[in-house]
Amino acid sequence: MKSEILYPGAFPMVRVDLAAGESVKAESGAMVACSPTVDVESKMEGGFLGALSRKMLSGEKFFFQTLRASRGPGEVLLAPTVPGDIVMLELDGVNEYLVQKDGFLAGGEGVKIESKMQSLSRGLLGGEGFFILRMSGTGTLVLNSFGAVHKIALKPDEEYIVDNSHLVAWTATTSYNIEKASAGWIASFTSGEGLVCRFRGPGIVYIQSRNPSGFGNWIRQFIPVSE
Amino acid sequence: MSPNALCFGGDLPEAGAPCRVEVSSAGLLVAIQGLPDETIPFTHLSVTAGGFDQDQLVVKWVHGGIERTVYLKDPAVIAAFRQAAPPELMPHLERTAAHVRRARSGRRTWLAIAVGSILGLLLVLWFGSDLLVRMAVAQISVEWERPIGEAARGQFLAGQTVVKEGPAVAAVQDITKRLADQIPNNPYKFEVTVVRSDVVNAFALPGGYVIVFTGLLKKAEGPDEVAGVLSHEVNHVVLRHGLERIVKTLGIVAVVTVLAGNQEGLVGLAKQLGIELVTLKFGREQEMEADLSGLRLLHRAKISSDGLIHFFERLTDADKLQVELLSTHPMSAARVERLKAEAATLPKQEPVPFDFEWKDVQAGL
Repeated sequence: MKSEILYPGAFPMVRVDLAAGESVKAESGAMVACSPTVDVESKMEGGFLGALSRKMLSGEKFFFQTLRASRGPGEVLLAPTVPGDIVMLELDGVNEYLVQKDGFLAGGEGVKIESKMQSLSRGLLGGEGFFILRMSGTGTLVLNSFGAVHKIALKPDEEYIVDNSHLVAWTATTSYNIEKASAGWIASFTSGEGLVCRFRGPGIVYIQSRNPSGFGNWIRQFIPVSE
Repeated sequence: MSPNALCFGGDLPEAGAPCRVEVSSAGLLVAIQGLPDETIPFTHLSVTAGGFDQDQLVVKWVHGGIERTVYLKDPAVIAAFRQAAPPELMPHLERTAAHVRRARSGRRTWLAIAVGSILGLLLVLWFGSDLLVRMAVAQISVEWERPIGEAARGQFLAGQTVVKEGPAVAAVQDITKRLADQIPNNPYKFEVTVVRSDVVNAFALPGGYVIVFTGLLKKAEGPDEVAGVLSHEVNHVVLRHGLERIVKTLGIVAVVTVLAGNQEGLVGLAKQLGIELVTLKFGREQEMEADLSGLRLLHRAKISSDGLIHFFERLTDADKLQVELLSTHPMSAARVERLKAEAATLPKQEPVPFDFEWKDVQAGL
């Protein structure tokens, strides 16, 4: 499987070249176009219960689609719903990424996807919900974001503070704690930051330059209220 | 040799370099692709727990001026490390292991608390709803109850012929007064209305409004039977069964509204229910409660309870008496048996007869 990001920037698309028999997992609805040699299969990763738990718990789509080049080599074009950068990560069997729900766009056959429960404080306050996706295994992992993706590399024990709604993905060697943005509760919320995540390295944290829920709130004021 | 750990350091990739870690008696053997293999003696190592779930073993050392950190999560390697580690490293390892166990049990505790509280909430809603309803009903004052019953009565009577006077009305009022006088601290002023209809039925509305159909008076074999039915209905009012049904029908919103002190809101809601109040069915437990307290009330009023039991017995034989009473008061042999058993426990007494003649009442219908 070879993949390439087309039109990087706000409206990117991913081209995946598949050899005969190869397949790629993608978020349902992500397929834009494909060669006639490619079959679209709907597959519930991790069996029915796994898929159900993912749907119920992490808000991810119930089914992933599997695009398989079953009748000879072919290519697939994939795109996310929201405008924003796409990042490609290589999983080598040792590294693991934790991905906020909705962040997954596509992954190679060897990529393992599971829902993972966060601790209560992280789930309640982290802004990512109680469940996030853990990506492990081997192969290419394609994530999408809202806005541009910014990579933060942390050395061992180095710390960095991220507004929780801007998180996209982070390596499993990093950990984070939720804390108030300012010293006091009132200042934390009046500053507009509320709660933030204090990450501790080593590892990589990917953040998005726009906040989806913030954008939703902003756009709501222009939507006429129907009677 | 497939990698089993991630190694960090100033000269390595930021996301960590995949490496192979093995434990030997000399120390930790670390093989990073593209770099010469190193064996680091145990004495140079420091260990902590780390990673997103705090369940990885973090091993640090400085070798040749370069600081290195390895994140281990392979259980086999961690086990081998613990076995081979020299005594001076053991306290650190034990502390780390304890930390990991704490993190794991902490997560399990939270999960258990989350699942437990969801189940608990469901159980409370399932079994505690009756209690909540009773609590809500207890908050509603009698003054607020009256407009609800009044509104429902008004709507019901709109399409009916009311018998305003005559021996039947006087008799029913007499029976009701005799019963009401025996209710301790009775906050209700009972108002009985006789409606001309062949339907064999009687019902009570919140606030003390009792409606009796002439059909019931015609079919009754004596005043004791009417008194039995009225005693049962009066007890539905006193025990506030109607209000309970209203609150239940309107649901949890009503409960919260009332418990939050907004009785007016409930009256508004209940008025919207209107005529449906008349057909609200009481629950089996409510019927039983009204039966038993009705029986005791009859006893206190010195009215024979045989009438109630006899009337109910005839009702169980539903085919003979085509009665609407059954649709709102499902009768069963068990109910009659329970009444008979209860009546047997009450002390024997000589019933005091009514002042009116039953023949006159029936003749006037």
